[in-house]
Amino acid sequence: MADGATPRRKSVPDWLNNPIWSAPAPAPAPAPAPRPRAPSPPPPLPVPQPPRDPTPPTPPPPAAAHDSDDSDEGDDAGAAGPSRTHLIAEFKAAVSARALCDRGDSIDGFGLERKVVDLAELRRLACQGVPDAAGVRPVVWKLLLGYLPTDRALWPYELEKKRSQYSAFKDELLVNPSEVTRRMEEMTVSKKEEQNAEGTGVLPRAEIVRDEHPLSLGKTSVWNKFFQESEIIEQIDRDVKRTHPEMQFFNGESSSALANQESLKRILTIFAKLNPGIRYVQGMNEVLAPLFYVFKNDPDPSNASSAEPDAFFCFVELLSGFRDNFCKQLDNSVVGIRSTISRLSQLLKRHDEELWRHLEVVTKVNPQFYAFRWITLLLTQEFKFRDCINLWDTLLGDPEGPQATLLRICCAMLILVRRRLLAGDFTANLKLLQNYPPTNIEHLLHIANKLRGPLPY
Amino acid sequence: MVLVLALGDLHNPHRAPDLPAKFKSMLVPGKIQHIICTGNLCNKEVHDYLKSLCPDLHITRGEYDEDARYPETKTLTIGQFKLGLCHGHQVVPWGDLDSLAMLQRQLDVDILVTGHTHQFKAYKHEGGVVINPGSATGAYSSITYDVNPSFVLMDIDGLRVVVYVYELIDGEVKVDKIDFKKTATTHA
Repeated sequence: MADGATPRRKSVPDWLNNPIWSAPAPAPAPAPAPRPRAPSPPPPLPVPQPPRDPTPPTPPPPAAAHDSDDSDEGDDAGAAGPSRTHLIAEFKAAVSARALCDRGDSIDGFGLERKVVDLAELRRLACQGVPDAAGVRPVVWKLLLGYLPTDRALWPYELEKKRSQYSAFKDELLVNPSEVTRRMEEMTVSKKEEQNAEGTGVLPRAEIVRDEHPLSLGKTSVWNKFFQESEIIEQIDRDVKRTHPEMQFFNGESSSALANQESLKRILTIFAKLNPGIRYVQGMNEVLAPLFYVFKNDPDPSNASSAEPDAFFCFVELLSGFRDNFCKQLDNSVVGIRSTISRLSQLLKRHDEELWRHLEVVTKVNPQFYAFRWITLLLTQEFKFRDCINLWDTLLGDPEGPQATLLRICCAMLILVRRRLLAGDFTANLKLLQNYPPTNIEHLLHIANKLRGPLPY
Repeated sequence: MVLVLALGDLHNPHRAPDLPAKFKSMLVPGKIQHIICTGNLCNKEVHDYLKSLCPDLHITRGEYDEDARYPETKTLTIGQFKLGLCHGHQVVPWGDLDSLAMLQRQLDVDILVTGHTHQFKAYKHEGGVVINPGSATGAYSSITYDVNPSFVLMDIDGLRVVVYVYELIDGEVKVDKIDFKKTATTHA
């Protein structure tokens, strides 16, 4: 049962044909609620642990210890925390990057003089899920997104640099036009005597600087640009208010929730102003939310207070791979969202032709109807927030890169519900895919892992 | 950063058909937060037009206004400033600084906006500032025929007001500004 090595067959491959992929175990594990499925009898399921594959194909064997612990899926994805506390030590070791080296010990033969994080190792660990405790996740995500360099010694310098750069952005871009014109005056015109304190008489009229007045229609006018951007700012405001309304962090009455909303708004506004080509597109707030949440909940207070600049740069980094999905003009091009969706389709066809045929040909469910949201919003809307964060551990950590990983996960999502899809018509399938049922994330990621291989282009 | 448009004495339709085209092209909805109008619009069309520019509209009654319900004077607070509004034909001699200062003290405002003379003026005295936005259409006044269309846009930002004066001179819009800071201590 060496999967991945079996030659392509038209029929569904063996490992896929296991009924385990279709439904969670009703009894043994506290998996998500068993779905009412009349047609098939409850399959004789083992404990929801893939029986054939003790180790996932890609990571090297030393991971065996971790896997057996990981596949102890005694918790469902919602709780997530407890089962991974044993991994904290692993992560701390990876992140602290052989910090013992500077004491002269050379642990496991690395013998590095400088403290450098082994990114490949970190990725491998991240794909198995990052523990929730002890502030591991913020650091791991920052490393994975390239915000922090691998060389630990550079961290304070880099953080300082980036954070002050963000302050400069704020200062430059979030200022209203009155301020800007005042600053322009102070630069160009010599400060005249303030004659406001005393005296009567006609107030002197002054020349305006560079034709800057509030009703200016000039293209370079600060005021004009301000009014044109006010629409974007309103849009950002509306979307931020709608982000995760069920979460206290984003949408409570407390001042911290309001402060969080203000931070999100500032980040998105600065991004929109710095990227005139793409501006702000609805949905970017959803991609930003998990990043900001994770960084803000960093137990280290100095990091938590700088969550805003950190989240901004990580957001830029994350979006750099996905920008083309948001750009309307590129929709139909080779890099646009349509092409990505068709790649997903091809991927599904390659792994599960029967399902593909049923979806696309028989029931005519155009992948755009469901995959668009999955892909552009990086699955933030399909799962509970907690699950989504766990999902992002793999998404960010996978060495293949977020785009490829995302497609594999989407494909896995389809395969996981194949029984129901094959039994459904257009309406039922669409409804199912647009409201994807709660799933065990570990399960999902495991399947996604099996779908590795060259992407169809 | 609050933008307040001050204008008046349009005398539409009796003395002038409409605002100059160049003014109209600049006055678009969505930019201005308040409009204060000294009076003498005179008809409802102008009222509706101003209302379309900004929903927050304040008008005082001029002697030729057709709508008799506008008040004689009005006061409002915008940001840190108290503004007073009056057409000005009630204050005799017309345009006299001392008499206007008296009115300003009566209304107890920092900035008094009046019209009637159809000439732009901005005065400062111990009690505060008096601004006359002139006639937005350039209609002739009881005093003179030689009138340049003008209006005023105030940018109220904290304790500072920048008054932008828009005048149509020889067919071109000329913009000047006047800076005015309110001292933190209350005026006597």
